[in-house]
Amino acid sequence: MIPINAVFGLGLLLFFIGLFGVLFRKNLVIMLMSLELLLNGVNIIFAGLSHSLKSPRGAIFALFVILVAVSEAAVGFALVLSYFRSKKTYDVDEMNELKG
Amino acid sequence: MINVLIFYFFAALALVSAILVIVQKNAMRSVLYLAFTVLSTAGIFLSLQAEYLAAIQVLVYGGGIVVLYIFVIIIVNLQEIKAERRKMFPKLFIFTLPAVLLVQIVNVLFTNRSTPPAGTETGLDFRTMAEMLFTNYLVPFELASILLLAVLVGAVIIARRRLVNDPD
Amino acid sequence: MFVWIPVFPLLGTLLNGLFGIKYFSRRAVHSIAVGMAGMSFLASVASFIGLLSSSEPSTVKTLFTWIPGSLVHLLGGRAAQVSFDLAFRYDSLTAVMTLVVTGVGLLIHIYSIGYMSHDKSYARFFAYMNLFTFAMLILVLGANLAVMFIGWEGVGLCSYLLIGFWFTKDAAANAGKKAFVTNRVGDFGFLLGLGLLIVTLGTLDTAGITAAAEGGLLSPGLATAAALLLFLGATGKSAQIPLYTWLPDAMEGPTPVSALIHAATMVTAGVYMVARLHALFTLSGTALTVVAVVGVLTAVYAATMGLVQNDIKRVLAYSTISQIGYMFVGLGVGAFSAGVFHLMTHAFFKSLLFLAAGSVIHALSGEQDMRKMGGLRHRLPRTYPVFLIGALAIAGVPGLSGFFSKDEILTAAFASKHYFVWALGLVGAALTAFYMFRLIFLTFFGAERLDPDVGRHLHESPRVMTLPLQVLAFLAVAGGYIGLPHVLGGGAWFGKFLSTSTGAHEIEISGGAELLLMFVSAAIGIAGILAAYFVYAKKAGAPAARFAERFRTLTKIVSHKYYVDDFYSHVIVGGVKKLGLALGWFDAHVVDGVVNGAAALVRRLSKISIGFDQEVVDGAVNGIGSVSRLISQGLRGLQTGFVYNYALSIVIGIVIIISLVVTIL
Repeated sequence: MIPINAVFGLGLLLFFIGLFGVLFRKNLVIMLMSLELLLNGVNIIFAGLSHSLKSPRGAIFALFVILVAVSEAAVGFALVLSYFRSKKTYDVDEMNELKG
Repeated sequence: MINVLIFYFFAALALVSAILVIVQKNAMRSVLYLAFTVLSTAGIFLSLQAEYLAAIQVLVYGGGIVVLYIFVIIIVNLQEIKAERRKMFPKLFIFTLPAVLLVQIVNVLFTNRSTPPAGTETGLDFRTMAEMLFTNYLVPFELASILLLAVLVGAVIIARRRLVNDPD
Repeated sequence: MFVWIPVFPLLGTLLNGLFGIKYFSRRAVHSIAVGMAGMSFLASVASFIGLLSSSEPSTVKTLFTWIPGSLVHLLGGRAAQVSFDLAFRYDSLTAVMTLVVTGVGLLIHIYSIGYMSHDKSYARFFAYMNLFTFAMLILVLGANLAVMFIGWEGVGLCSYLLIGFWFTKDAAANAGKKAFVTNRVGDFGFLLGLGLLIVTLGTLDTAGITAAAEGGLLSPGLATAAALLLFLGATGKSAQIPLYTWLPDAMEGPTPVSALIHAATMVTAGVYMVARLHALFTLSGTALTVVAVVGVLTAVYAATMGLVQNDIKRVLAYSTISQIGYMFVGLGVGAFSAGVFHLMTHAFFKSLLFLAAGSVIHALSGEQDMRKMGGLRHRLPRTYPVFLIGALAIAGVPGLSGFFSKDEILTAAFASKHYFVWALGLVGAALTAFYMFRLIFLTFFGAERLDPDVGRHLHESPRVMTLPLQVLAFLAVAGGYIGLPHVLGGGAWFGKFLSTSTGAHEIEISGGAELLLMFVSAAIGIAGILAAYFVYAKKAGAPAARFAERFRTLTKIVSHKYYVDDFYSHVIVGGVKKLGLALGWFDAHVVDGVVNGAAALVRRLSKISIGFDQEVVDGAVNGIGSVSRLISQGLRGLQTGFVYNYALSIVIGIVIIISLVVTIL
């Protein structure tokens, strides 16, 4: 049996690594990759819970999370592509046209 | 026993790759390390006896998203970006907030929980999971397929080149 | 049958009034008017014959209920259903009146064809004349006082219309107004009298009133009050003291109008009314005395004024007032039939006199001042004789109608021991003879004092005018004989005939005394004529002039009509006008002042309210807007546009949510 706390710790660490990546990087693409890290971390926690509670529900939820992650990644890429075509940049600091 | 070892091995691999993902300057290398992270996660799933999940992870994440990232990087022709120093105040914020979050989550996760109700122990095998997917969670399953359809169409529309005679 | 009598003149009025003015030729107009008058006369004659041959002394024909019954609480505790019908009564008195009105009226209508032939409002004149005839007939045919009042008002209206016929002339318009207003004052008394009768008897039916009075249902006091009030109306209509002032001014109207209205008919309406209500008046000795005294005083008073007039028509006007006074004397001493008798004869000779005067005026191209006449008896061979007949009749020369009627009145006065009245009546008779023959001598005798222009155009009146004159002259002579008293061998048929409607009046006087009185009044009349002859014919008015010189003040007073007119216009009319002005000032200043003050107050209040609205209310609304703006300014800062800021916000959000979840759980 894998201790659940270890799973938790791993998941948390991955989550926070992804979080730092999102907050600290200026490169848009790398930000998006960090998002994947976030989601992976969460999935690990779900799988761990599923394992410890002996129920497939956690796995199912993780499945759905992957699904959403894929959708979001696809749409995000499309946006990046179209933005890059017009602006020729992927520096998030320069993406401030929504300034209110 | 083997399980535990596999778990720790893949866990360490995942962590290292993750850190490498976010600190790379080169986007291509970040993608590579992302691939590593994804595969490590698949291994973790295996060790946690979520075989289906591991398989999906490899297929979708590894085969789909990572490849997608590579394509984007090629198309966009990513160059290295010189990191600019951010101002102090935001940096402080950026550190403290996640810290607070960490504390809170740790609090929640590691406190003692009440035992879950008895009826949820149904077994981790694939068959049970499939059954549950198609009975209890049928609606989200179908909705998910619709979502994928929408994403498919939407992504194509958003990403296509603007034509001169485009009625949009 | 008798209901038809007023229908013809009404038809004539409508035809001439609605269409005649625009569409009919002159011939058509006067044919209609005279034709209708003639038909009306025939109807009167037929009704008269019918009355003679029937056994009913009086017939009543009700057309419809005019005012339906309502319960009225009478004085004295009873309650009665009071209703007024449009009903007509025909009895001997009505017969006399209708015959006089329609007969004399017909003659005057014929005369008018000639007199008004040059006038441009030909149709209007005849329409009004027919209307007047209609109204007068309604008056005399009325079975109750309400219907009589309709006629009463109607003749007043027509008098106004006809006096002011030439309304473009100021004097005529004012005269019409004066007539109407003076009449109105009298009508006020009449209406009060009507009201009193309603609340005491509950009916205005003349037969009902007669029955009530004779049956003792009416107290003498109330009877006196009602009678005096009604008599006030009569003084207005019949131009007695105090409401006579309109009649002399009414001479502004065309001469046929003066003849018809102010000689024969309208002015006699008062006499008719008193005669009709003889029972009521008899019940109150006071009222009768008042009537007699007023009558005789008026008779003398008006006669004195007739002495000094220079306008031929004015002399006749004052003469009319005076003669009507005599009629009232007859009524007042209880000899109702005598009064009506004099009414009839007066209609004959007065209208004759007026029409003849009109003929003179017409011949003289409109000249009315006697000082500019003279010696016309040769120039106007057809007018002069009839004029003379009329003058003789009015002077009371025996043999003519005027003598019989006037004498009957005076005898009745004497016999009922009203000696003072009788004496004054004699004085009046003398004066009458005198001023009448003054007129004759000034106009027809002596040297011609005509204007040269007038003299050149002098022409006798056309046949159409002189023929009615001759008919009237005949009546003036012969009309008296139907009342020939017993003592002279006659049957006094008139009195007997009339007694069915006016009550029998027995005069207690011996035949000898009656003859003596007759002689006295005849002598008085002839004396007057002789005196006039001496003064005016023989000595060309010199004695009169000397008299006027010596008694200059007296002459001045008389010729200014005793200043009564001036008194009325200054004191009464002026007083009313001043009151009106005072009230007007009050209204403009006091009442309007209050209203304007209220308006100013409201205006000030509204200013305050506006200020409140602008400052406070708008301030609150604007304040809210400012607050929103401030908040939004602040919140704008969050939209930096930087992605990482948004990511940070997400993280912050997660932190907050987790804290919330943790703390709640």
